[in-house]
Amino acid sequence: MKAGRARNFSLGRPLIFTVLLGYAAWVIFPMFWVAYSSLKPDAAIFRDTFTLPAADDLRLDNYARAWREARFGDYFFNSVLVTGVSVTLIVALGAMAAYALTRFYHPLARATFWLFLAGLMIPAQLAMVPLFFELRALNLLNSRLGLILVYTANGLPFAIFILAGFFRSLPRSLYEAAVIDGCSEFSAFWRVLLPLARPGLVTVAIFQFIGVWKEYFFAFMLVGGDVDGSSRTLPLGLANLSINAQYHTDYGMLFAGLVLVTLPILVVYLLLQRQIVKGVAAGALKG
Amino acid sequence: MAKVVIEHLVKVYPEKGGPGVKAVNGINLTVEDREFMVLVGPSGCGKSTTLRMIAGLEEITTGRISIDGRVVNEVLPKDRDIAMVFQNYALYPHMSVFDNMAFGLKLRKLPASEIATRVQEAAAMLGLEDCLRRRPKALSGGQRQRVAVGRAIVRKPKVFLFDEPLSNLDAKMRVSMRAEISKLHARLGATMIFVTHDQVEAMTMGDRICVMKDGNIIQVAEPLTLYNHPVNLFVAGFIGSPPMNFFRGTIQRAGGHLVFVETSARPAPLTLDLGDVLSARAAGHVDRPVVLGIRPENIHDTLTLGTPDPARTVEVNVEVSEPMGPETYLYLDTGVTSFIARVRPTDRFEPGQKIKVTFGLDQAHLFDAATEQVLGNAKSS
Repeated sequence: MKAGRARNFSLGRPLIFTVLLGYAAWVIFPMFWVAYSSLKPDAAIFRDTFTLPAADDLRLDNYARAWREARFGDYFFNSVLVTGVSVTLIVALGAMAAYALTRFYHPLARATFWLFLAGLMIPAQLAMVPLFFELRALNLLNSRLGLILVYTANGLPFAIFILAGFFRSLPRSLYEAAVIDGCSEFSAFWRVLLPLARPGLVTVAIFQFIGVWKEYFFAFMLVGGDVDGSSRTLPLGLANLSINAQYHTDYGMLFAGLVLVTLPILVVYLLLQRQIVKGVAAGALKG
Repeated sequence: MAKVVIEHLVKVYPEKGGPGVKAVNGINLTVEDREFMVLVGPSGCGKSTTLRMIAGLEEITTGRISIDGRVVNEVLPKDRDIAMVFQNYALYPHMSVFDNMAFGLKLRKLPASEIATRVQEAAAMLGLEDCLRRRPKALSGGQRQRVAVGRAIVRKPKVFLFDEPLSNLDAKMRVSMRAEISKLHARLGATMIFVTHDQVEAMTMGDRICVMKDGNIIQVAEPLTLYNHPVNLFVAGFIGSPPMNFFRGTIQRAGGHLVFVETSARPAPLTLDLGDVLSARAAGHVDRPVVLGIRPENIHDTLTLGTPDPARTVEVNVEVSEPMGPETYLYLDTGVTSFIARVRPTDRFEPGQKIKVTFGLDQAHLFDAATEQVLGNAKSS
């Protein structure tokens, strides 16, 4: 190794680390601040903004209030239900659609596949008004079912796009061997080919989970008119909190709510971060 | 009885705005019970397509396939009682070797004890006992191919189908697997249909060989029959390694007998006395263009012959000498045609050297240059 290259290397690395550390601190600090501020009384949040909470005065009641009074408990349940069902449907229907479109020859297969891809390219905002009228006509406004249907339809193109890549990479002889061994069409899919697409399934599930969980736009439009708020998801609940409290904002409760919203995603990420990174990389390569 | 009968089988792949591609052109073939039949031919000859139609993986355009007396055109692959070994093994990557072999049996709801017995038996036959818990990716190519064969064995099917299973293996592995499959056939006594493009595999493994070209069956016969009595130029040149030598020329009358004269611009073209055997076959072709085919082992170095026949001896140029060990392949040149002779290894030859060789024409063949059919009788079964 040349002396010059060694020198460049040792100059560059600390610099890069410093920049990255700085950026990380920049991003993480606000979240950290919200988290520890959620344990302080309101007055303390204003007075000693950046100090850590007093160990003897941890206001866990902020959380209790967020859960009950701000109805975060209800919203949490709604989010879990809507996200859970949507992601399950997206993965299940997406896998079957991707499999059928890539495995079987049919004159319309290509056109159907492009139709799904078009869904990826059209921004959601364009569909806003027609979707509203459609759901209203179907009497699905202000209902969790309506939200689930919209999220599923929205997430399918992505799922099909990713999973089609995975299914295409599987050799046809695997399917043929399964069929000769005695599989029906569905068992060949379920027992042989689907397990091999597992990285794709996990990728799709993770991305859709994160996307649907934090989704505000469609939720606000389709469920926001719900007067008693029984169908609201967490993002809506959060926004509602800051909108309604115009004159007096219970910051402690607000921050507690924020932590409640962020926690599940954080847990999912920490548990599956390796899969997520692999999925992003695979998407970049396979796409 | 697991006899496979193919009648007037045609496969056409549809083509937009065209008549379609005819991959198989109306073939008829009977594979007897317990027979090892090899389908051999160059790429695109229709052998794999035929095998896949027998398996049920391709739709039959017209014609009939019967297995054990039952027409199976409309029968699903899993109900045809066949097992197939693929070129790329097609093992299930997410299952262990045991589960790979047991999969078909589990699907048919066999009791676990029966499954375990059959898998253990097959594993013992193939030397896989130590690999049963491993995944395919932890196995070598040869082991994977044996698992694929094991997966077929445990099913105890009526017919085994092999689709170029040895093509992905290295040369040494191929030779040992060839012997393993032959032993397996002797042991199981099952009907086996084996597709390959390698004529060495065909010759060494088949009870009978079916040579195909461009969707047609050219000749079906036992290996040595194909070797010694090819029905046309294609079969003659396809079977045998090194391949048969071909000389283009004409039959002419010289003195009281017939000679073969090579077509050549040179002043003294290759001229060979046909002798009784070939003359009888060539009688109707005097002054007509023919192709003389003679195998390398029937061209002798005059030094090794006691009394070389001068009417069949010529002086030729040595181009290359390839010592193989037990024999030497000599690449010779008449000035018009390059050909190969197999000679004794103890003789040393240098490139550029001129030597005399004698043609053993009694084992040679004459083919009509236009139709490419062999002159005289050719046996086929």
